[in-house]
Amino acid sequence: MFLVPILRGLVLALVGLGAGAGIAMAIGAATGAADTLEPALALGFVLALAGWLLGVGVWETMACEWFGCPRRAHEPSGWQRYFAFSTDHKVIGLQYIVTFLVLFLIAGLLAMLIRIEHLGAAAGTIMDANTYNYVMSLHGIAMVAVAVAVLTGGMGNYFVPLLIGAEDVAFPRINALSFWVIPPVVVLLLAAPLVGGYDSGWTAYPPLSEVNATGQLLFLMGFATFGLSSILGALNFITTVAKLRAPGMTWGRIPIFVWGVFTASFISLTATQFVFIALILVVFDRVFHMTFYQPKGGGAPLLYQHLFWFYSHPAVYIMALPGFALALEVLTHFSRKPLFAYKWVVGAFIGIVSLSFLVWAHHQYTSGMPDWLHIPFMVSTELISIPTGIIFLAALGTIWMGRLWLTTPMLFALGFVFNFLIGGITGIFLADVPTDIHLQDTYFVVAHFHYTIMGGEIFALFAGIYYWFPKITGRMFNQKLGNIHFWSMFIFYNLTYLAMFYVGFQGQNRRVATYPPQLQLANEVTSVFGFLLGLSFLLWVYNMVHSWVRGPKATANPWMARTLEWQTSSPPPVENFLHQPVVLHHPYDYGVPGAVHARTDGGEAHALGG
Amino acid sequence: MKREWLFLCVFWLLATAAGVAFVYAVPLMPASNAEEAALVDTDMVFMTVMAVPVFTGVTIMLVYSMFRFRRAGPPDVDGPPIHGNRAVQYTWFGVSTALTLFLAGFGSLGLLDLRGHGALKAAGQEMVVQVSGSRWFWEYTYPAQNITTKEALVLPLGRRVKFEVTAKDVIHSFWVPAFRVKIDAVPGLTTFTYATPNRVGTLNDNVSLRVQCAELCGLAHGSMETPVTVLEPAAFDAWVQEQQRKEAK
Repeated sequence: MFLVPILRGLVLALVGLGAGAGIAMAIGAATGAADTLEPALALGFVLALAGWLLGVGVWETMACEWFGCPRRAHEPSGWQRYFAFSTDHKVIGLQYIVTFLVLFLIAGLLAMLIRIEHLGAAAGTIMDANTYNYVMSLHGIAMVAVAVAVLTGGMGNYFVPLLIGAEDVAFPRINALSFWVIPPVVVLLLAAPLVGGYDSGWTAYPPLSEVNATGQLLFLMGFATFGLSSILGALNFITTVAKLRAPGMTWGRIPIFVWGVFTASFISLTATQFVFIALILVVFDRVFHMTFYQPKGGGAPLLYQHLFWFYSHPAVYIMALPGFALALEVLTHFSRKPLFAYKWVVGAFIGIVSLSFLVWAHHQYTSGMPDWLHIPFMVSTELISIPTGIIFLAALGTIWMGRLWLTTPMLFALGFVFNFLIGGITGIFLADVPTDIHLQDTYFVVAHFHYTIMGGEIFALFAGIYYWFPKITGRMFNQKLGNIHFWSMFIFYNLTYLAMFYVGFQGQNRRVATYPPQLQLANEVTSVFGFLLGLSFLLWVYNMVHSWVRGPKATANPWMARTLEWQTSSPPPVENFLHQPVVLHHPYDYGVPGAVHARTDGGEAHALGG
Repeated sequence: MKREWLFLCVFWLLATAAGVAFVYAVPLMPASNAEEAALVDTDMVFMTVMAVPVFTGVTIMLVYSMFRFRRAGPPDVDGPPIHGNRAVQYTWFGVSTALTLFLAGFGSLGLLDLRGHGALKAAGQEMVVQVSGSRWFWEYTYPAQNITTKEALVLPLGRRVKFEVTAKDVIHSFWVPAFRVKIDAVPGLTTFTYATPNRVGTLNDNVSLRVQCAELCGLAHGSMETPVTVLEPAAFDAWVQEQQRKEAK
């Protein structure tokens, strides 16, 4: 029965929840504490998480060994693998992809609710202000989670080992653990309305996040737990790329998508701790009545913002870098030309990672931090446009004089370049202090980050989904429908978000159900195009589901691409390659006479003495 | 090939000219009532004008390449194996670096002005208004005039005002869109910002003449606002006296 591990996990989670809550309540009763709900939930969740993980597979595949019992590694076969604690990176990759695409659609539906609400200038079109705040906050945190995890955890897990010619990641069991931590996070975020929801956006600034409903506690613990998953995943990618590359896969021959995931992983590995601490201190303030962020007890609300953004600004590059890289990957293959200035692009990625740690306080120009901090953060932030500019150069240089094959993935990659251009340019307005002082916390900011993350990363994600769909499923999607999906998504996307820049200039706050009545027309226009944008995703869902079941069989390499994942069957076998691949040339040597990226038939390995 | 580049350059210049004309023709920013707003608006227009050639340049190259180099169906032959071009790469790097540093310098100067270190400082004696945010209303105290009000922020024309801002419960943000100034109201901290009203007006004349909370503060955040009124100095004095009389009662 394929549901056994999940049911076992659920039962143990309930046991943990009960035990934790019981202990907290007993301590509360013994000490005469007035309100024990939040301590009970906090301790209950910690033990429930432990119970869930043990039940779902950690005991069998990992923990049991620590106590000397033999490891029982029976990997289920067929579709049942996707409901189990599988250690196959391709299974885990698909678990991530499907989980986060479903979350993407749920959070997208919430966006539709927000746009319906904005058809009227006053709160209460369809929901009261409190419900609005919860819907907006959930939309925010769910989309942030999608943006952080779907490209690295999803596409990265599936394709990084294939692209470097490895059999799996370096730590397959930790890889499984980092995925199975996520379902409890989703449960916490979605269960919060049972205890009042949360109304402080995805940023959860205290003191607001310390005085609102108990739902906030669930948000905080969910977000912090998600951080654990991120750190484990990053550790795995860095080790995998460093240690498991196929013979001949030198650093100068690594496909660019791998570089994107690899460099982004350094941010996840080193910055996530800061947001974890920031969130846990809020939990301590709430649960133990400590005062880290309470001025009355000597705390500082601004401390949270510095800790939070020290992670959360670099985090946008966890989202963006693999997006850049994936778009460049697709542009290269469908231009039939080498990636322009490959080494400079790698340098740009490293430059972005380094600079990303020095820019966090540009989120705080109006926060009341000391004046002298403004100029250094403005300069460091604007410097990021230099390495980002190199990515545009690489994109344009690659398609110039190419032999462009305008398939669905190629269209999405080209759309990425256009959208991210607007996202990047509008970022300068927010990096510059005088203009940011007016634009901070307006819809201009909302439009800007949707252009970078949705217009950028998510368009790159769709390029990747269409590009690798035949590899993952072994079937071909309907290209005509894919192209219609691209054009409708691209056009309605731009029409939806361009008007948001305008209402931002005009002074419409973000995160509010209420806005000045003279901006109603612009909001209605945004809403209508937003609904059409929402509908365009139905084309994609239909195409994916229908093609997966009924689509024509795909060959091993339908795009005639040179990288390693296409030199094995679709879908790849469990061990990825039947023979150890040996890399001979650069992955993007299109047009170079006689250049072969790699041999996968085992012949060359013998020649090299491998 | 040469004619192709000539065509692209001419098209780029035309598109840029049209874009710049658009920036000047269409007022993106709302009407303003303070010296500081003029400063921010100049910066905003300047940056938008700088952005236009970048936007048109990249977009033209992208769209042109898409049509010029497209092939119907799967490729039968690869493109030329161009791995890079040193001259192009260094030029691109140099131009983007110069643009970035120029923008950073320009922004720094504007910032010094806004935060009270530049030319605006000499505008005259400052009047202090203490602003306090609570869920979900604003309170304005005029220490020199010894009055406190919650109904409206009333200011005299032509006098530089220093706002000393704090909050009583959670973080709020003091924002007057018509002045383009915004500063968070943080519990336990006093922050400050300046505005020098340069045009008489009320919320009825300019919908942006309002104090609006700009930091999410809970349930009624969206409606946490008060009207702003800018009066001639004589009228302001009369308002002050009226308030003092009211408070004395």
